[in-house]
Amino acid sequence: MSLLSMNALTKRFGGLCAVNEVKFDIEPGEIVAIIGPNGSGKTTLLNLVSGLLPITSGTLLWKGANIGDTSSHERSSFGIVKTFQNPLLFGELTVEEHLRIASHLRFKRELGWRRLAEIVGASRRIRQVHEGIGVHLEEVLRMCRLADKRGTQAESLSYGDEKMLGVAMALMCEPELLLLDEPASGLGQDEVENLDGVLRDLQRSGVTLCIIDHKVGFLGKLADRALAMANGSALAAGRTQDVLRNPLVVEAYLGAGHA
Amino acid sequence: MTQLILGQLINGVIVGTLYGIVAAGITLTFGITGIVNFALGAFMTLGAYMSWYLTDRVGLAFPLAVVLSLLATMVAGVVADQALFRHTRNNLINGLLVSIGLISVMEAGILMTWTATPQEMHFVLPGVLQVGGLVVPKMKGLVALILLAVVLGTYAALTRTWIGRAAFAYAQNPEAARLMGVRTRLLQSGVFVYSVGLAGLGGALYASLYSIDAGFGGTYVLKGIEAAILAGIGSVGGALIGGILLGVAEAIGSIFLPAAYKDAYGLVTLVLILLLKPAGLFGDRK
Amino acid sequence: MRALQVLAGLLLLLLPQVVRSDFVLTIFIFTFILGVAAVSFNLIFGFTGQLSMFHAAAFGISAYVTQISMTRFAIPFWGSLGCAVLFVLVVSMIIGTICFRYRLKEFYFAVVTLAFAEMARLVVLNWNSVTNGSLGIALIDKPKLWLPGLGEFTLAGTSTWYYVGLTSLAFTLFVCRRVLNSWVGRCFGAIRLNDELASTLGINVFRYKLLAFAIGNAFAALAGVLYAWYIGYLEPDYLSIPQSLAFISMVLLGGSGSVVGPVVGALVLTALPHIIQLSAEARVMTYGAVLIFTILLLPKGIWGTAAVLLKRLPIAGRAKAAKSSAPSVELR
Repeated sequence: MSLLSMNALTKRFGGLCAVNEVKFDIEPGEIVAIIGPNGSGKTTLLNLVSGLLPITSGTLLWKGANIGDTSSHERSSFGIVKTFQNPLLFGELTVEEHLRIASHLRFKRELGWRRLAEIVGASRRIRQVHEGIGVHLEEVLRMCRLADKRGTQAESLSYGDEKMLGVAMALMCEPELLLLDEPASGLGQDEVENLDGVLRDLQRSGVTLCIIDHKVGFLGKLADRALAMANGSALAAGRTQDVLRNPLVVEAYLGAGHA
Repeated sequence: MTQLILGQLINGVIVGTLYGIVAAGITLTFGITGIVNFALGAFMTLGAYMSWYLTDRVGLAFPLAVVLSLLATMVAGVVADQALFRHTRNNLINGLLVSIGLISVMEAGILMTWTATPQEMHFVLPGVLQVGGLVVPKMKGLVALILLAVVLGTYAALTRTWIGRAAFAYAQNPEAARLMGVRTRLLQSGVFVYSVGLAGLGGALYASLYSIDAGFGGTYVLKGIEAAILAGIGSVGGALIGGILLGVAEAIGSIFLPAAYKDAYGLVTLVLILLLKPAGLFGDRK
Repeated sequence: MRALQVLAGLLLLLLPQVVRSDFVLTIFIFTFILGVAAVSFNLIFGFTGQLSMFHAAAFGISAYVTQISMTRFAIPFWGSLGCAVLFVLVVSMIIGTICFRYRLKEFYFAVVTLAFAEMARLVVLNWNSVTNGSLGIALIDKPKLWLPGLGEFTLAGTSTWYYVGLTSLAFTLFVCRRVLNSWVGRCFGAIRLNDELASTLGINVFRYKLLAFAIGNAFAALAGVLYAWYIGYLEPDYLSIPQSLAFISMVLLGGSGSVVGPVVGALVLTALPHIIQLSAEARVMTYGAVLIFTILLLPKGIWGTAAVLLKRLPIAGRAKAAKSSAPSVELR
């Protein structure tokens, strides 16, 4: 069974059809890329999957179950977490504080209703959970190469670090499927290599990745499979190299002359 | 009955243009300075008291009094803008709270200067017109026409003059407008003072017809906001029309429905509108 | 810091034994009671970032419901108080659900809560048969309380009300502190800072906004009843916009960044008009001016600014040294 299954997934904004009957499956453990020119519906597709936008028609299956009606925070708790091209941050808080807040899902998962005890007074179990979170936090900081910036306020971070923080927060949620919206945009060469390393580490630790980006070289090396989109529709899907060489895809990106 | 309806219609138009002026002021101020100025009502009250004071106590001719009231209100607007609102540009909550604080200050000031007794201006233009069997008080008719002219003038100014278009462009895309040479700070202050002046003018004219008290402007603000939201924040023309429609609807409605809960109907409508019309226009301004 | 808190607590506890002046004690009583309302408002506004204009309505509705429940249903005072708080909770859940389900943000939320508050006030103002309209209701019967060891006694007299107020405020502060120091408080903060991000991190924004709104209004309900029975008079102005503004002013003046800040604001705004004798209008003008002054010049409020200044001194540094696993509740 596929981890995530999209069937005839469609999103309409009034008269505009941003995503048109897209069919695509994501298997556990793989890295898939979504490519396409600007305006092809990639981000909208990811927003449909993560729950930020309601689906107009079509089905979305997560491990076989239909999640089309669930909200974005519910999907996060299922394990579907999305990062943003322009990172959403908590302004004045430090990197570490961001990750503390991002540990909410794990805290909830480990304690369930017993977390009510924290209001009455920290029990031993709750202290244990906090310690576990602390360890996890350290690991995420290390993985995302942000350990030395833990005390920096988010607004003082460089753009590359901001994006890393976005990824780090997503990791604190212990995702099964991580959706990344243009994680490499705006990054310099070594930052991109850094990102590549982080994402490979992630895959090794069992997280499935779905990445939108324009840096085709970066994606070509990283992704096993790809989905190419244009004008809201799926143009081609399959092994990354095959998709990249597909004449329709080349035409969509570069114009008819290059096919 | 027709006389009653005509009378209420004129009342409704007058009240409605005042709603529209406030609504337009709210929309303009929000679009250009990023805040909602609750104190517009207080400026309207100020204009009303100034025009009453100058006409009745000082003895000036009414038209002169109106002009001076307008100027006085605009000066007050400049002071408020430079001293206070200049520091809350695009900070919605702060601007809101500062404007609420300003209301207290202004209303209390008016109370201290002129006491809480409602004031009535002596008739400026007494007498009535006979129009085909119906009676129209001359002054009311005149004021209604002037207010409508002001409303139309505002709309024309915004759509046809360079300043108006600059304001519109800025509201759509501040960066681009600035790059095209629009003087941002001047524009923001200008729009603020303009909306305040309009409110003051409306108040000044209002004072010639009805009795005024220190709090009357306040009731207009909530209704004005209602009209602005009805029209969709960002649409000045819509705000103006929406205000007039609201005023007329209320006036005609009060013939048939109990007046005590009149305000409640407006509030219920307001809530329903806000719930059903998604906060898209407000939220979309990035 | 802890030692200071205990010291302050002791001082407050012993104050009526030392100070005989009714004037001073009365100021404290008002500070305590209004402090309950201000602190709970801050839960919604300062900590969760929602500007609710409904607080005064909760404050007033509960007093009226208590009075109605006592006179029409012959339920004793404390039972009526419970009913009132419950009533306010239910109303808050309804209004909150409407507002937050439709994801009303910032300004719209303020306007809608204002509209509901005004509707409530109009009902109270016009429903003469039940509420006596604008004439208000005189509350002559003081509530009675039974405590083990002390027996039954009437809640009358400055000293008694002082301790009632102090206990209520202490209770409010305790509950707020506990809630804010837990994961609930962390969610509130996240929602305040960026609710879109909070949602993607798995926080059910709707649920926590509703929770803050409900808890805040519940305490406002408590404060309303205490206030009404202390001054002995109940009127529709309890639900008025100026009353909501008074709470906002207390929070902003004292400092919205801490649990206890609003109490400082309540103290200043309560004491000031008594120390400086002003006419009613001048008092209103001062409220407005204070609000403006605080927003523009003293954004962290009195307590907040003081806390920042204190941090610069070496004493406070040691208090912060203990690294707890859960983040502290004091905001920046």
